[in-house]
Amino acid sequence: MVNENLVKDVVKEPYKYGFVTDIETEKIAKGLNEDIIRLISKKKEEPKYLLDFRLKAFKKWQKMKEPDWAGLGYKQIDYQDIIYYSAPKQKEKISSLDEVDPKLLETFDKLGIPLTEQKKLTNVAVDAVFDSVSIATTFREELAEHGVIFCSISEAVKNHSDLIEKYLGTVVPASDNYFAALNSAVFSDGSFVYIPKGVTCPMDLSSYFRINSGDSGQFERTLIIAEESSSVSYLEGCTAPMFDTNTLHAAVVELIALDDASIKYSTVQNWYAGDEEGIGGIFNFVTKRGKCLGKRSKISWSQVETGSAITWKYPSCLLLGEESVGEFYSVALTNNLQQADTGTKMIHIGPKTKSTIVSKGISAGNSINSYRGLVKMGTKAKGSRNYSQCDSMLIGDEASANTFPYIKSQQPNSEIEHEASTCRISEDQLFYLQSRGIEFEEAVSMMVSGFCRDVFNQLPMEFAAEADKLLALKLEGSVG
Amino acid sequence: MEIIEKIKTNKLLEYQTEIQKICLHKLQSNPLPNPKSELWRLSNKTKFSNFLDYSFNEKDLKFDSPYPNNSQSTIRLIIGENCQIEFVEENYSIEQLSEDEVDKYIKEQISSFDQNENWSDLLNLSLSCKKNILGLKVNGSKIPPIEIFSHASSNSLNAKTLVIFLEKNCDVELIQVNLGKENSSLSQSTFFFLEENSSLNHGVVSYGENGSNLLNSLNVIQQKNSEYNLGSLHFKFNYARFEINIKQSQGNAKTNIKGMQITKKDEQISTYTKIDFNGPNGFLDQINKSLADDKSHAIFEGSIIVPKIAQKTDASQLSRNLLLSDLAQIDTKPQLEIIADDVKCKHGATISQLNEEELFYMRTRGVTLAEASKLQLSSYFQEIISFIPVSKDKWDLLDKLLNEN
Repeated sequence: MVNENLVKDVVKEPYKYGFVTDIETEKIAKGLNEDIIRLISKKKEEPKYLLDFRLKAFKKWQKMKEPDWAGLGYKQIDYQDIIYYSAPKQKEKISSLDEVDPKLLETFDKLGIPLTEQKKLTNVAVDAVFDSVSIATTFREELAEHGVIFCSISEAVKNHSDLIEKYLGTVVPASDNYFAALNSAVFSDGSFVYIPKGVTCPMDLSSYFRINSGDSGQFERTLIIAEESSSVSYLEGCTAPMFDTNTLHAAVVELIALDDASIKYSTVQNWYAGDEEGIGGIFNFVTKRGKCLGKRSKISWSQVETGSAITWKYPSCLLLGEESVGEFYSVALTNNLQQADTGTKMIHIGPKTKSTIVSKGISAGNSINSYRGLVKMGTKAKGSRNYSQCDSMLIGDEASANTFPYIKSQQPNSEIEHEASTCRISEDQLFYLQSRGIEFEEAVSMMVSGFCRDVFNQLPMEFAAEADKLLALKLEGSVG
Repeated sequence: MEIIEKIKTNKLLEYQTEIQKICLHKLQSNPLPNPKSELWRLSNKTKFSNFLDYSFNEKDLKFDSPYPNNSQSTIRLIIGENCQIEFVEENYSIEQLSEDEVDKYIKEQISSFDQNENWSDLLNLSLSCKKNILGLKVNGSKIPPIEIFSHASSNSLNAKTLVIFLEKNCDVELIQVNLGKENSSLSQSTFFFLEENSSLNHGVVSYGENGSNLLNSLNVIQQKNSEYNLGSLHFKFNYARFEINIKQSQGNAKTNIKGMQITKKDEQISTYTKIDFNGPNGFLDQINKSLADDKSHAIFEGSIIVPKIAQKTDASQLSRNLLLSDLAQIDTKPQLEIIADDVKCKHGATISQLNEEELFYMRTRGVTLAEASKLQLSSYFQEIISFIPVSKDKWDLLDKLLNEN
């Protein structure tokens, strides 16, 4: 069918963040063993408890097996062939942004991330992570005025050790899963956010992750703590250069919300996805979990996943506090030979907890796009509710869309509703739009955008625009 | 689990048919299903080993059915008891398949069996002796309803196999009743082959007594323009698994499934369905209902597989569950695996208790709470029961369910 081919062409879009920054970096030797972990810990001048945490995690990891239940087909990862620490060389201590290597600033500029505070186009504070280390965090002083701590996790280890010791690994324990254990052993940097009691964070916080070297993995760790009655909106973006080798990205994100606190965590993931033949691309194995500890606390995940060769990611909520709320809004677009296995887990433990899941998957090319989710009502989750909706859109007859919802209830006084559907870009709708004078390309883009609207509406303003642009970019292109 | 030891050491049967040899050979290296696999991970280990605890028995005691007596208007067959079957009338014929025909068909099926996925069938075929395999060839129309019984005797494990070919343009109504006696295990495997334009209204009622266990596996292959309707009901088993495998081998076929499982006390009943669309224009409408009370556990896992060849498939699957007690649990997992793009596929799942507003409404009209609950349950059950052929007239299932529960 002509239209089908057109749609296929339309979803092909070259990756525009694939450049490499030529910068001198400090790397440690390849491989993973106790000495490497001690070395990373030493380089970061970490206290003993953290080194112990790492070593314990490493011991557990050695005993674990790489999970294969998602049925993702990828070639064996050689964990000894990865560099676990890579940092751009720079002066020992940076007192202001002027001292950051201009090449680095240029890189983030190219990516559309303004690090220099003069460019206050948006009211967003940014923590930029380049390979294994955090380069800069903007708007610190303004945030500090409100008592908000926003810095890289390495700085937090030095300056707010008590908080790290209290919360690190409490949501995602080191032995949680294979990749979380690996991350716990070798994590290099990431962001740390602490919102004190009663504070509404005055601006959106954002982390930007950039992998630059082809042979080092990125293992960042993010920890966000929202104290009583506080609220924060956090955004995360990621890109990587084009290499024909696969790069491993295994991150852990932990969120903690106390009484009446609310955390909104949004991600636009655009790692390099590999080329049309599936060569290269990032292996994205991420563990994200939030704990609604307090009463009436709320954690909301929203994500737009367009990149990575393999995505294995299930942002989850543990709903412990009475009347706590968990939300998950996701758009996953896969093309060529990409594989995305993503979804969420909503574990209702406390009474009167509520959760909503809205997942939209678009699969094109030869890609595989799966939704895998768990909704569980524990025995004490009296009066709890869940609503899930997962829709898939298929473009072309080689793409595959799967839905695997696991639903478990042990509490009669709770309600779970799940629905899923699959559709395609219908020719009738295309014809209708085209007959009204709308270009084919624009019509496809409109329909995809309409399909994803429920999720885009949940993204913060800046991100919604970026996400829409990103999908439009992927859908823009070669039709003449 | 003496039986597993015997399989391992090949000391289970002195005389083995060729099929038994093949199946035993497949099981020998790995005699138990992988407990971590999707299909078995929720299976209660103690209960599963209860199933295997009874000693295997090729013979069983005289059949004593709680089901109403046979009448002129139906054909009743009991697996293991009927020796010669031949009904040849003007409009129709029901003949026994020759041993060769049965062997050939089963061998074909086994060749694609997976040790884990088809474990229940492999066990069944390892155990079923010739006498306990009933093979039929049905042809024609206006056939009287057929009733087929399988049962297990107390304190033993019995295996029964049913193979039925429906020839072209044939139209059949069939009810299969699986009865578990006190402290017994029944392994029942059923194979249907529906030729072009044939239609089968199939009912499965599995009804146990205290401590009875059941492994019930159903394999259906549908050729084009065939229609397969299944109404099923499983209740009163300590442990029961109902595995449904349906393949629309050339597409263009219709499948309707309405199933229900009711668990009480500490029972565990599960239903696993796999619907494979292997051609275009396939149709599926499936609803599975579970009711779990006391400390019981009900499980449903359904997968719909739509490969590239199956364009214009229209499939829907709904899992509706009632959880009536604090200690009961329900697991459900409806899943879709789709590669074709021009398809309509959807699924849904709900878990809740009886609707409080409806109960309140009825109570304001003077209906007692017990009566109101019964009314709600009866409407919940009725949708499935009305889909089970034959039995609905003869055996008042609704009454049985409401009053026994």
